[in-house]
Amino acid sequence: MKRREFIKNLGMVTGAGAVTFSIAGIPIKAFAKPFMNIQSTNGKILVLIQLKGGNDGLNTIIPLDQYSSYISKRPVIGVAETAAVKLTNQTGMHPSLLPLKQLYDEGKFTVIQNVGYSNPNRSHFRSTDIWLSASDYNQFLYDGWVGRYLLKAFPNYPNTPPPHPMAIQIGSVQSGVFDSTQGGLAVSFNNPDEFYTLVSGISADTDPPPATLAGVELKFLKEVASLSVQYASVIKEKADIGNPVANYTAGGTFGSQLKIIVDLILGGLTTPVYLATMDGFDTHSNQTVANSHPLLLTRLAESIKAFQSDLEKYGLADKVVILTFSEFGRRVNENASGGTDHGTAAPMLLVGKNVQGGIFGSNASLTDLDNNGDIKFKVDFRQIYASILKDHFGMTTNEVDNILIKHFDTIPIIKAATGVENDYELPNEFALKQNYPNPFNPATKIEYSLREPGDVKLFVYDLLGKKIATLVDSFQSAGSYSVNFNGSSLSSGTYFYSIETGGQKISKKMILMK
Amino acid sequence: MDTSTYLNKISVWDADAARHILSRSLFGFTKSDVTFALTKTLDDFVDNFLLKDLAEPSAPKYSGADWVNLPNNTANQTNYTNWFRSMVYWWFDLMLNQGYSLREKMVLFLHNHFVSEYGAFQIPQFMYIQNKLFRQYAFGNLIDLTKKVTIDPAMLIYLNGNVSTKTAPNENYARELQELFTIGIGNYTEEDIKQMAKALTGWTVDGTNLISVFNTSRADTGLKTIYGKTANYNYDTAVSLIFSEKPIAASEFLCKKLYKEFAYYEPNAAYVTQLAAVMRSNNFNLKPVLSTMLKSEYFHSADIRGARIKPPVEFLLAALKQLNISFSTANQDLQNYVRTTADSLQQTLFNPPDVRGWEGQRKWISTNTYPARNSYTDSLVAGKKINNITYKLDALTYARSYSSSEQAVQFIEDVTKQLIQFPLSQARKDSLLSIMLDGSAVYDWSTYSVGASTRLEKLFKALMRLPEFQLS
Repeated sequence: MKRREFIKNLGMVTGAGAVTFSIAGIPIKAFAKPFMNIQSTNGKILVLIQLKGGNDGLNTIIPLDQYSSYISKRPVIGVAETAAVKLTNQTGMHPSLLPLKQLYDEGKFTVIQNVGYSNPNRSHFRSTDIWLSASDYNQFLYDGWVGRYLLKAFPNYPNTPPPHPMAIQIGSVQSGVFDSTQGGLAVSFNNPDEFYTLVSGISADTDPPPATLAGVELKFLKEVASLSVQYASVIKEKADIGNPVANYTAGGTFGSQLKIIVDLILGGLTTPVYLATMDGFDTHSNQTVANSHPLLLTRLAESIKAFQSDLEKYGLADKVVILTFSEFGRRVNENASGGTDHGTAAPMLLVGKNVQGGIFGSNASLTDLDNNGDIKFKVDFRQIYASILKDHFGMTTNEVDNILIKHFDTIPIIKAATGVENDYELPNEFALKQNYPNPFNPATKIEYSLREPGDVKLFVYDLLGKKIATLVDSFQSAGSYSVNFNGSSLSSGTYFYSIETGGQKISKKMILMK
Repeated sequence: MDTSTYLNKISVWDADAARHILSRSLFGFTKSDVTFALTKTLDDFVDNFLLKDLAEPSAPKYSGADWVNLPNNTANQTNYTNWFRSMVYWWFDLMLNQGYSLREKMVLFLHNHFVSEYGAFQIPQFMYIQNKLFRQYAFGNLIDLTKKVTIDPAMLIYLNGNVSTKTAPNENYARELQELFTIGIGNYTEEDIKQMAKALTGWTVDGTNLISVFNTSRADTGLKTIYGKTANYNYDTAVSLIFSEKPIAASEFLCKKLYKEFAYYEPNAAYVTQLAAVMRSNNFNLKPVLSTMLKSEYFHSADIRGARIKPPVEFLLAALKQLNISFSTANQDLQNYVRTTADSLQQTLFNPPDVRGWEGQRKWISTNTYPARNSYTDSLVAGKKINNITYKLDALTYARSYSSSEQAVQFIEDVTKQLIQFPLSQARKDSLLSIMLDGSAVYDWSTYSVGASTRLEKLFKALMRLPEFQLS
């Protein structure tokens, strides 16, 4: 297109000069409106991986402690006991997940067991909607949980769009997880260069559409046009800077998705949420053949391993966590087709330098099943979202409750959030965190925060209530603290630790395992 | 609008109404199609043209040779990619050259309702058998069609009916039959699924001759209790049971899908309830339902006109038809261009993304696909050169097909009305006019002036880049 024609088209679709463009490949200015140069997030990044179709949790994380029961329910498709990659004496992984073993050993990989929700729905589509919107089983929400988070993090959108996209999805059909009252908030594309080429020449505009249903659809189209125009240049610019060196080929096309994401992170894009998708988990038949479930898990593990190694190489690993999710697990019993039908709760996998590591919760019980013969959930999926929002993104409890529509307790899967320095805020609550590691031997770390200055007592007790140790007994100012506790002189067992200040008291349990 | 008049027949049959019906029924239409429709009455045009029963088209061929009845064997398998593509091109051709029939839109609707994915087995003969079934029932009886689909070979493979036996019934088809094909979530229990799965056992597929085979030894002939009724149900009586026990749920579920496809993606409950009553009183025959919908007042209201985002295949084919770019099966280069572009716009015929099918409407549009649509329409204006043949809008000839071609203001009025269903604002028309005039005075405009062709091309590019052009 000739330059003059280009500018002309622009004027007409945008209204006067609201958007400038890159001409002949030189980015000039990429934003529809001036933006304030402030970071609206704490610099942390979440990479969501959607395993579409319902990942078979019992062939992902193997309950070695109930192996005979496991293999009797899955004689054809069960993972052989000797083939499983042992994480602990009780728990193994599918052999395809071997590339994640080292991350596990380094405390950078967490398995969260039995995640689901009450009254589980076995429809792919309804259950996916529940996971994406973070709704109850009988509640219908029209926005996504990430969409709600982003509007909290970027309250001035769309009037003042942030300099980098709020969310990026690799793909061409935008996920409902990014839906919000301000429209879909993610920029989606397959590849930054191709995206940049495509976008040169379109734009948004500001004409108010008529007040009909048709007008509502026109408004939607204009918003999408506007998002592509705003961000194509900065995405290409950051992709050109980033230089991932790990090998993603074993990850297949999924590996390419994670490679694009790491490329943008390394290039300095501050986008807080990414979504990559892997299809093919609806394994109703022949799921153990090499190119079915085993291959999917191989690609997942190899891609994550490469991704993590690039982040570590460039010193960005403490910014990012990866979280996998799927609409449901599968039936405990295999079916006659060498596959599994739609089930319920399943493990979620969490990877990152700042995750707590290890296994959260015990293996799925193969005897205590629901009335449909499926696994009972032990952790609500929204507790994971709450933990990410609070402990990774540093949202307050109030904000998290707002985003998730009601309160969910967090679980200790992320190490204490540390905001970026220029964004430092005093803690807005009096809190005592779960010790880490837990169980521990012999040392562990206890973190707490004070909203107001005051006299602080932090003691350790045994099960009978006898005081074992005094960790803190002094006046402290408001802020976040961390103390270490060493139990080398104590015997294995459960202990309590308790903090008291300003008439308030919080206690937590910890386990010493020698 | 008063909801009690939703299904009333529209009182005015004019060019706006004709364009709306044509845009929702066909894959693109021209000025002369509008003229033709208006030579008929509304009833005549809808019932005797759009919904007319047509003869079955001849089957697709590859390089002039038949393949749809050939068996599945290793020798034939080497041709499957070519056969599959010939079927895609054949369907494109039917979509574009169907005359005034709604049939191909219904075939596509049924393909997206009773979903199977070619990728699950990659045997093109199977998809042809299914496509032919949908065409046969395009205006037919939904209960009969549901029974046929239940034992359709592609469906038996896709949703594992072929491996479901009395000793271990596979629940996949039983669930989707109720959740996605007939009554929708909330109208059955998990136990109904298990019992339904038993009723559907016994069917397998002959992988060589590509036909469904009933094998008594695999069938569960015991009693099943579905929706509280107990009998020795088989696939036929179990499907009948869905419609006899759950007629309201089934009719409302199916009318919702029709409404989403032809009217607007967010169903209007009052409208759906009324249309479902029409469906029940016509014993689930599609033709009277479609006829009522196409003529109804609410279907023609300002809410609905121009509110539908064009699905990719329709968008791509309609642009060719609207611009009079010839599309012949003899030369497959252009078909191939449309096919690959449709892939990148996320609609691969015979390969919907999952068993729910394409969600449609807003899911068609992302920051990735919107610009890709623009570059396609740009390419038709600038000229798409493939194998040394250029496919291109002839801007001058096209413009001169309008009687107003020499009067700039009226021409913009007429050409936007014809090409864009959404009511365009005056500001939009003004800016399109200024693009076409390109700095010259309005009274100097003539398609015979120097550079008119170039200026018209700018106009058409800009027009088709508009968000409004994505709507129909």
